[in-house]
Amino acid sequence: MKGRLIHKDDIIRLVDLLRKDRRVIAPFEGKGRDSYFDEVTDANRGAVALHLPNPYYPPKRYVLPHIQKLFHISDGGRPSVLEIRDEPQVAVFGIRSCDLEGIFHLDRFYLGNTFKDNYYEALRSRLFLVNMVCTDTERDIEDDCFCVCADAGPAARNHFDLQLMDLHDASGEFIAVAGSPAGEALFSQTFFHKAGPEHVARRQNVLEEVRKRFKIATSWYSAATKFITQGGIKDSTWKHIGDRCLECGGCSYVCPACSCFTVTDRKTGPGTWERVRMWDACALSGFTRMAGGHNPRKAVHDRRNRRFFRKLGHMFIQKEFAMACVGCGRCVRVCHGDVGMPTVVEILRRETSTTEATERP
Amino acid sequence: MSHYLTTCTFCGVGCGIYLETTGNEITGTYPSMSHPANQGRICVRGWHVHEVASSPDRLLSPLVRKNGRLEPVNWDEAYDTVASRLKEIRDRYGPDSIGFINSARCANEDGYILQKFARTVIGTNNVDQGTSLYRTNSVEVLREMTGVPAATNSIGELPESKVIIVNEIDVGQQLPTIGGVIIRAKLRGAKLIVVGARRHRVAEHADIFLYIRPATEAFLYAAMAKVIVDRGIMDLDFIRSHCEGYDHFLKNIRSFDLLLAARRCDVSPLLIEQAAIEFARLKPGMLLYSTGAEAHGKDALHAMVNLVLLTGNLGKRGSGIMPLAEHNNLQGGCDMGMLPGYLPGYAEVNDPSARERFSKKWNAKVPEAKGLDTTEMLCETGSLKAVWLDRHNPVVSAMYCDAGTALDRMELVVLQNLFLTRTAEYAHVILPTVAFGEEAVTFTSTERRIQAAVKTVEPPPGLKSAWEQVAEVAWRMGARWDFASSEDVLAEAASLVPAYSGVTHENLTREYGRQWPCTKERPLGTPRLFADGEKIHPFRFKEMSPVFPEEPEQTEFPFVLWFGHSLYYWLHNTLVQHSEVLKREYGILFLDYPDGFIEVNPDDAKSLNVRDGEKIRLVAPAGEATTTARVTAEVRRGIVYVPYFLQEVARRLRGGYKSVEGRTVHVRIEKAV
Amino acid sequence: MNCSNHNLYQPSIAVLDGVRDEIPEVKTFYWHFEDPKNQVAFRNFMPGQFGMVSVLGSGEIAISLPPSPTEERLFFTTRRVGKVTTAMHALKPGDRFGVRGPYGNGFPMTDYYGRNLIVVAGGIGLIPLRSVIIYALHNRDRYQKIQVFYGSRTPKELMYTENLKEWRADTGFECHLSVDRADETWKDHVGVVGSLFKKPGVEMPLENTTVFVCGPPIMFRFVLADLRTMGYENRNVVSTLERYMKCGVGKCGHCCIGAAYVCTDGPVFTLEQIHRLGEII
Repeated sequence: MKGRLIHKDDIIRLVDLLRKDRRVIAPFEGKGRDSYFDEVTDANRGAVALHLPNPYYPPKRYVLPHIQKLFHISDGGRPSVLEIRDEPQVAVFGIRSCDLEGIFHLDRFYLGNTFKDNYYEALRSRLFLVNMVCTDTERDIEDDCFCVCADAGPAARNHFDLQLMDLHDASGEFIAVAGSPAGEALFSQTFFHKAGPEHVARRQNVLEEVRKRFKIATSWYSAATKFITQGGIKDSTWKHIGDRCLECGGCSYVCPACSCFTVTDRKTGPGTWERVRMWDACALSGFTRMAGGHNPRKAVHDRRNRRFFRKLGHMFIQKEFAMACVGCGRCVRVCHGDVGMPTVVEILRRETSTTEATERP
Repeated sequence: MSHYLTTCTFCGVGCGIYLETTGNEITGTYPSMSHPANQGRICVRGWHVHEVASSPDRLLSPLVRKNGRLEPVNWDEAYDTVASRLKEIRDRYGPDSIGFINSARCANEDGYILQKFARTVIGTNNVDQGTSLYRTNSVEVLREMTGVPAATNSIGELPESKVIIVNEIDVGQQLPTIGGVIIRAKLRGAKLIVVGARRHRVAEHADIFLYIRPATEAFLYAAMAKVIVDRGIMDLDFIRSHCEGYDHFLKNIRSFDLLLAARRCDVSPLLIEQAAIEFARLKPGMLLYSTGAEAHGKDALHAMVNLVLLTGNLGKRGSGIMPLAEHNNLQGGCDMGMLPGYLPGYAEVNDPSARERFSKKWNAKVPEAKGLDTTEMLCETGSLKAVWLDRHNPVVSAMYCDAGTALDRMELVVLQNLFLTRTAEYAHVILPTVAFGEEAVTFTSTERRIQAAVKTVEPPPGLKSAWEQVAEVAWRMGARWDFASSEDVLAEAASLVPAYSGVTHENLTREYGRQWPCTKERPLGTPRLFADGEKIHPFRFKEMSPVFPEEPEQTEFPFVLWFGHSLYYWLHNTLVQHSEVLKREYGILFLDYPDGFIEVNPDDAKSLNVRDGEKIRLVAPAGEATTTARVTAEVRRGIVYVPYFLQEVARRLRGGYKSVEGRTVHVRIEKAV
Repeated sequence: MNCSNHNLYQPSIAVLDGVRDEIPEVKTFYWHFEDPKNQVAFRNFMPGQFGMVSVLGSGEIAISLPPSPTEERLFFTTRRVGKVTTAMHALKPGDRFGVRGPYGNGFPMTDYYGRNLIVVAGGIGLIPLRSVIIYALHNRDRYQKIQVFYGSRTPKELMYTENLKEWRADTGFECHLSVDRADETWKDHVGVVGSLFKKPGVEMPLENTTVFVCGPPIMFRFVLADLRTMGYENRNVVSTLERYMKCGVGKCGHCCIGAAYVCTDGPVFTLEQIHRLGEII
């Protein structure tokens, strides 16, 4: 069996081991509810937290940075490629199942389809992912979480190298599951010891209890998917949703499954530039504006329509084998007008359940 | 990677954000979830603040104009040049020939040091923030009526208000975090009353939308007061315990004609009545306003505060009056005395004992005469020979003066900024400063929250904070200040401004800043003013003008011109110009309308047969101007909205640069052939 | 193109050979790749594909490929509308710029073998369709009847006038021209492009025919309405769509319409596909 036990006091030894040949990113508590992923150093290693609110700044930035340099350009028009350096190997310790699902989603998007994105690949291939299952119903999970509805949690089924889960009993043991050969190789360490069927059973119990904690019942996803794919949402509904949107872009930025970016050349000196790419959001008016002035999605409600079509439309789910929503709840928290995914799904479901959704010609 | 909790420095909300750094670069930004003002939400500007900080377009060395061209020099030469020329000009023309203007986005430390320099080293009270027009009226009216020139409540209380009035500000664009709080409050059942001549995003959510003609707020709020008084639904307990001047006010308001007011505002009197009753009935109630009211004179402000006093909406959670500062340190700049008539902490310049106190502390005489404000300083017929501009870009943003001509005539223009702006064309010396994230300074948000913006990366070599550069020049002019860091500057400011007396850099970074007054008695600050009944003086009612002039029928000039002030501010903002995404978003209007634009209502446009993007001519009694029409449903019928950056068009239609406080300008629209 | 050593975003260097003024604000840029290997690889492009063109330091944009792969020279034709095209219009022969591509799905010209081809273009909409026309002419015996209907606002705004002259002279196919507003030199048909369909002597086959349409939005709408009235099925009407593009390789998200990425699923779409995109274009 590819599962073992590790005592919670030994987890830091696992972190130390990973630090021997990798940069380890782990979650830390900040002020109040704030938490963030940061690099583990000798100075802060004691503060690595096992149960805490999911850091708000999504870990997708370890494969798709907020700003990323692509290459240098110099005068005479010969660009030189910024070496995609052999970056040190990186481990993200404590990534949640929802965010893991998001990375998987981005993997399919960036490494599949027609072209493979080499920058994404370079960052992704050096990543070692240690998933922490959300089990602490007070600390790990919040009212806005709905991974169960997106089938993205609380325990990821795959896409991790190693998965840790607190068994929440007097023993202080975590159950560890390997998801890759690299993960399994760690089991030779002495702080991993055998797990028995009783631990597997305990794991099941914990997960069942945890699932009851979720407040949002967005099982209405299927209704929303159906209605939005058929194009049966009234214009007035989109107008209402658009009125609540303050066009900040936050929903795209915090979303683990959002992937859009823009590219620009920035001057670095006389005759030299760097081409960088940076996160972009379809919420913004300029996202589709063409030189010459035509903007196919000028009105804010057209842009809101776009976002939810991209997330819930059947064609995308078919193409990507998953919905571009992992139920992490960040868009709920980040939105000024409360038009994050659960609210919009509810609006769409309610508004069309009383009217016939009509087939588009 | 490192994560720093800091304060966003765009607008007056002062959202808590994190900057993420990698090495010596700022590489990311995201909201703080627990910050009491924004709680996990920021606007599009905040989401891109890291792009600005990492822009490679920065000025890296000081520039001095030699033979008509700006040449890079070393720092000593730059400071020496400024010091010697200032000395020369002061000796030849007198101290009042020099002026100092900073931006409402400069830090507290910058503002404090600049006004200290002006007053003690140069010897003049010619200090002001560039946005003077926006807030001077508000400062004076609030001091008079409530005693404190600032918002009375915290942003975090808005969710508890049962009725909210938003006066004439596109809060969803200017302070989006507050716009969001209001939208969510309304969704949870609060009554939203929006007053104004623009139908903006938040107005779409209004329960009652008082879509009034511009510059008629005074009549509207007076009419609402009248309704309340007539029905006897004012809060007499509150009025009797805390206010004075009520009897005069009462007599005056009783003679108000509701129907006439409704006609002048061009809204239904029933709607005014409904709004008044809701605001009186539902408690607690909050009134938010902004710079739109400023330029229309004190009457509107008097009327708004009267309404708040009448309904007893001060001192309790969720009830109060909040002037919204659209720039991140509008409040702090005022607090620090960047005002021609006030010293730090609103001590009056013409108060001998105040001058005495400051003179003693500063060991230098504080000048007696009230100084010139921005418009007077940059007036083309003015007397200034030199001006120091700290991140102020008047060539682009000054509305009531021809800044270019004024600057052209000066013998010395010193400009501090991160990038070259259009004002740089007139500068003799340019001192590049550090950027956000490269210095530890403080800002005071619209809810009086003094907050720290922390240092996250090292600035480019040689660059310093704006205040440090002023101190360098001061040193060369004989001042012997001893500020080792911005903490020392804050400490000195705190010792002179009672409301800041309990504040240190250290305790600001410990929690989420401190809302002033933060004193020994209130070491954690004051989220809500007047909470314990404490006040500076009794609240004061103010009489409204008994008669308001009936506007003659304007058949030849049927449209009312409305001169905008702060809306579209960000389009020209220097920092926005240097962020890729913000530049794209805010640049759309300039790409779509390269020659600028005025705005008209679609129904009006249709009846005039004017299409969006078409060139039109505006004809006013005083003059005419040609411009482009932008047709938008946000603008009321009968109005032509002129954004602040159409300075030439505004000047021609007004017949000069002077503000038209109290007067409306009428135009007719013709197609330009 | 899934080799991972390849840098998807790095342009190859191109050298500008010559510039020709077409109509006001529109220029044609003749170029070749500096590295002959790139030149060879690129030649496999199909009509309807596009390149991502970098004017280094200004940015990168998508530009359609007007040459046919059967022609010698590579060139782009663009109008000056924004930052990058303005920088491009300032380039001089010998200057270097960057090209990535060819990208997009292109017109499946071999699928159309044996069919009648009708090309309807308006204004600068002729730019991408030029490739189709030249390709068809260079493979003349593969296609049946070929008709070109092209119009612009004024005679001065007609594109590729040398080609037009050749096409008018060629008896192997029909080329009909029109302008909305004539000048004193114009001796030909006056009216919108769609009015050419009713020109005396014009017979447009319905069966076994593919219609190519490209032009400004208004022209597009009217021509599609005409074609619908005339009985052309949506799956036989094909166009090339334009959207703001930042990567050209289906990653940045800007060009997505409904469920399709214009850069990888398009830019060529049949009308039937356009209707099924899930978003109004």
